[in-house]
Amino acid sequence: MNNPVVLVVEDDVHVRSLMITTLKTHDYRFLTAVNGAEAVMMASSHNPDVVFLDLGLPDMDGIEVIRQIRGWSNMPIIVISARSDDADKIEALDTGADDYLTKPFSVEELLARLRVTVRRLKTMGAGADDAGSVYTNGRLTIDYAAGCAFLDGEELKLTPIEYRLLCLLAKNTGKVLTHTYITRNIWGRSWDKDVASLRVFMATLRKKLESGPGAPTYIQTHIGIGYRMLKVD
Amino acid sequence: MNRTPDVSEHILVCVSPSPSNPKVIRAAARMAEAFHASLTAIYIRPTNYDAMSVNDRARLQGNIRLAEQNGAAVTTIVGDDVPAQVAEYAHISGTTKIVLGRSGMRRRHFWSRMPLTEQIILNAPDVDVYIIPDSAADLRDQKERSHLTDHIRPTLKESAATVLILAAAAGIGLAFTRFGFSEANIITVFILGVLIVSVMTESPLYSAAGSLAGVLLFNWLFIEPRFSFHTYETEYAVTFAIMLVSSLITGTLANRLKLNARLAAREAFRTKVLLDTNQLLQKAENAETALQITAHQIITLLDRDVNIYPRAGSALDTAAVFDSPRPAGDASPADGNEREIAEWVFSNQQAAGFRMEAFPEAKEQYHAICLNGYCYGVVAIRLDKVPLEPFENSILISILGECALALENLRNMEEKEQAALMVRNEQLRSNLLRSISHDIRTPLTSISGNASNLLSHYAQLDDETRRQIFSDIYEDSEWLIDLVENLLSISRIENGQMDLHLSLEVMNDVIDEALKHVDRNAARHHITVQNDDDLLLVNMDARLIMQVLINLVNNAIKNTPAGSEILIRSGREENEALVSVCDNGPGIPDPVKSHVFEMFYTGQNKVADGRRGLGLGLALCRSIVEAHGGRISLSDNEPSGCRFVVSLPVKEVQVNE
Repeated sequence: MNNPVVLVVEDDVHVRSLMITTLKTHDYRFLTAVNGAEAVMMASSHNPDVVFLDLGLPDMDGIEVIRQIRGWSNMPIIVISARSDDADKIEALDTGADDYLTKPFSVEELLARLRVTVRRLKTMGAGADDAGSVYTNGRLTIDYAAGCAFLDGEELKLTPIEYRLLCLLAKNTGKVLTHTYITRNIWGRSWDKDVASLRVFMATLRKKLESGPGAPTYIQTHIGIGYRMLKVD
Repeated sequence: MNRTPDVSEHILVCVSPSPSNPKVIRAAARMAEAFHASLTAIYIRPTNYDAMSVNDRARLQGNIRLAEQNGAAVTTIVGDDVPAQVAEYAHISGTTKIVLGRSGMRRRHFWSRMPLTEQIILNAPDVDVYIIPDSAADLRDQKERSHLTDHIRPTLKESAATVLILAAAAGIGLAFTRFGFSEANIITVFILGVLIVSVMTESPLYSAAGSLAGVLLFNWLFIEPRFSFHTYETEYAVTFAIMLVSSLITGTLANRLKLNARLAAREAFRTKVLLDTNQLLQKAENAETALQITAHQIITLLDRDVNIYPRAGSALDTAAVFDSPRPAGDASPADGNEREIAEWVFSNQQAAGFRMEAFPEAKEQYHAICLNGYCYGVVAIRLDKVPLEPFENSILISILGECALALENLRNMEEKEQAALMVRNEQLRSNLLRSISHDIRTPLTSISGNASNLLSHYAQLDDETRRQIFSDIYEDSEWLIDLVENLLSISRIENGQMDLHLSLEVMNDVIDEALKHVDRNAARHHITVQNDDDLLLVNMDARLIMQVLINLVNNAIKNTPAGSEILIRSGREENEALVSVCDNGPGIPDPVKSHVFEMFYTGQNKVADGRRGLGLGLALCRSIVEAHGGRISLSDNEPSGCRFVVSLPVKEVQVNE
């Protein structure tokens, strides 16, 4: 795989040039679009690896751009927006965005998010062959057929709900899953009580998964938004 | 007409199926207009509503519509004790005037000879009662009478008792003749018999029939010629007449006495239940406890399962279930349309359910808890085909009225508090704006000046200077970012209250996330985190609590020399989650401590660090923590430095597998 191509959709000249400079200095290739229509066109004609999308575009809402791209492609979309309300982030994620970043963002953070997404792209390409049977991520292994998970070859003692949570996160590695999305998948509904339960199960799952000092972080918490399984090397 | 009605005047008009009722309603509407009063139409729906004729029903619907067209808020209450319920409603809704038709006056209760108007006047002495004369013939009289006979239909048991008592009286009389006692004694025995009959039976019909039968028996058995209804002496006619009259009076008096006693007992019970409810409700601190008390009182009274759907925003919340202690072995399962009925009741503010016009097939009876057109919730009482007695029904309505009154008081209180808070926050906000516009200029001047220097004199500057300028720009913009974050949190103070988006969060996740956002200078301090409870779940607005932690840690970084230790510790103490931020810096002198949480207080380091710190951070921390129902405090750290402790209430969590 060559250096990934990033489509930068941003109407503000300064922020756009900041992102382009950052991408250039780290050897990424890039395309630019200044409005929603152009973004959809570029995405369909150039098929970039990753999209950086601003939500406040002059011609249409960024959410609409996500919806249109999701109509035909699964390409990772990272939302970069000045809207900092959790509700906006959740709407973007539930529409199909993979990640979000609020302005003002630090350059390091932008690059870190891009790395996570690119790594996920690679595993998606490689893991497509033996999809469905065994999942491996660092020291974590999930045998879907046997219905059990292992850490360093040792079986994890998980409750049914914890196991289902782990599988759901693993199948969406690298993607931020909102609380609503997770509770709908696990309990079939999303009530306050379920979101509360989710916190508890997630905490116990993380404890089992990330015990011991120096253990890598598998599950990342996004306060007020949801959780994400990270790809660990 | 668009003028807002004077709240001190509130007119209540009684709706009935009477053909003269429209006249009453129009009169009440004219009065309401003249007094600029608000108008409420009340219909007391009898429990035997099903028996009402089609004509009456149609007229009733017409009258209710008329009342609505005349701008009245229509309320329907189910019950048979019309005067008590009208008076009760008048009392709780703050009615100042009641308008009645004269047809209503004639309506009487089977145990009472007092007209309805008189009873209402008695029950509600502080309300003016207006009576509208009625020229139309009351078509309902006949109906009334048939309604009356319902209560005096003879029962086998009571008839048998009457016959037995009279037979006993006759037997005693026969014994008396054998002993040669005078006839006067026998008459007394018969009158005593009638007295016993009227005490033992429900309807006045028995004492009347008993009186007549007694006289006839006396004539037949004891007056010569015996075993015939003839008499030889005419003076016996007088004796019979006197005997009949006295036994009739005795019987009626006894009957009345008994009814009065029962009425008094009921009234006492009703007063006690209502008084208890009232006292308990006055102690209720919020709507939730008020509804719990109401449910508890209804269960005490009726011993049936109760569901309460409280209002949440402009819709109904999920039901709170209150089961009666009675074993519910035979309870049939729920139908599944409970919520639908409850919502209908909520939007129509009318009772529905079992034996009602709407949803008569339901197992429950639904009543709206509403007052002055505002519905506070819906109560569902599970009947399982056993209807409530009229008396129970009337107390139930009164309890619900008390509940609505209590809820309205709570709501008014809340509104008043919010208004006061709003004023305070408005002042705070204007102070804040003034202060910001001044302080925001400093970093902006530095950023734009430094950038312009770089643009025009880049070549002349040496590397070291350039680096310094770049880092100045960076730090000033970081400061602005920090300011914007705090301002965003402050902007959440809306309508007199902080707008919290509460969710259950794990405390150490929040601490970890907060530490990602602290000052860049943090690298020069040693920050350690210690979590005593890995699964400390707190109901909070995560964004705001993060802001609190960021501000506390940044505050510690700013006010301690490089290399200082900062310890963040979280744990649980009984029902509180505690998070402390300690440092080993110079600490804060006692006189200053009491001021640190004040807005725009910038401490003593003004000279050393002229522009840093708006004095917003800690004040904001306090507002946020207090909005969560928690506390924030400052004390000395051992051996040196200061220690900020945030405590937040912890709620036990139910986890569903």
